[in-house]
Amino acid sequence: MQQVLVNIPSVPIFERVVRASADEVGRALGFSAERVEDLKLAVSEAVNNAIDHGNKRQPGKLVEVVFALHNDKLEVHVTDEGGGIDTIDFSRKVIDEQNLDAGMHRGFGMYLISALVDDCEVNSSQSGTTLTLRLYRRNHDHDE
Amino acid sequence: MTNEINEVIRREEFGDVAVLHIMTNSVDAVSASAIEAVATATAMRPITVLDFANVAFINSAGISALLKFVVSAKKSGYTLYAMNVTPHHQKVFKMVEMSRYMPPIEERDLAAYR
Repeated sequence: MQQVLVNIPSVPIFERVVRASADEVGRALGFSAERVEDLKLAVSEAVNNAIDHGNKRQPGKLVEVVFALHNDKLEVHVTDEGGGIDTIDFSRKVIDEQNLDAGMHRGFGMYLISALVDDCEVNSSQSGTTLTLRLYRRNHDHDE
Repeated sequence: MTNEINEVIRREEFGDVAVLHIMTNSVDAVSASAIEAVATATAMRPITVLDFANVAFINSAGISALLKFVVSAKKSGYTLYAMNVTPHHQKVFKMVEMSRYMPPIEERDLAAYR
């Protein structure tokens, strides 16, 4: 197994660094262009969640992202240094009249993650939360 | 007629149409506040179109910012349209049902107004 490790301060601009890494890793694994886009979006949502909700945008706190390249899958572990959470809501969230009128325009991230990756799981403690995303390699994916 | 609102949106008007060309390639948490500021300040036209030709990436923070345009159009009684949306972003818009509030429009559909 090979690993790519990226640590960023909890500042939104650095999410783009992780996203660029996801792009390269997805391409290196031979994922289709569409799956690379899915990977980038899911990783982006996970990192933004860690920055905003885990580390509360405190620049001194790091978000650690590990891309673990297995023979059969890619795992992405996104870990914050926050105080932990009880649950994450991955249920389907869509835009509707009610939340538009109420000015509630956020909260799609976790649903998008769950819909874009093959599976995901959360492990949380008082010293931080790790969100793990998995994308399994498919027959038409190829090594570069 | 075109004029620069700021670096994230370039506005073009003709007849009843306003085309808002998104100039940033990443509609995300970084560009969201600038996009929201433009959305708040932008006068809607009967046909207002967001042009995504330059946009390579959109995430949920970006979608939240774009919803400000939807709300603004809705308040004015107009419909907001989306143009030059990539297939991937069309998929994401459908997932969150953004496409209900910002249906696609083609460049050729606007030709009659020029």
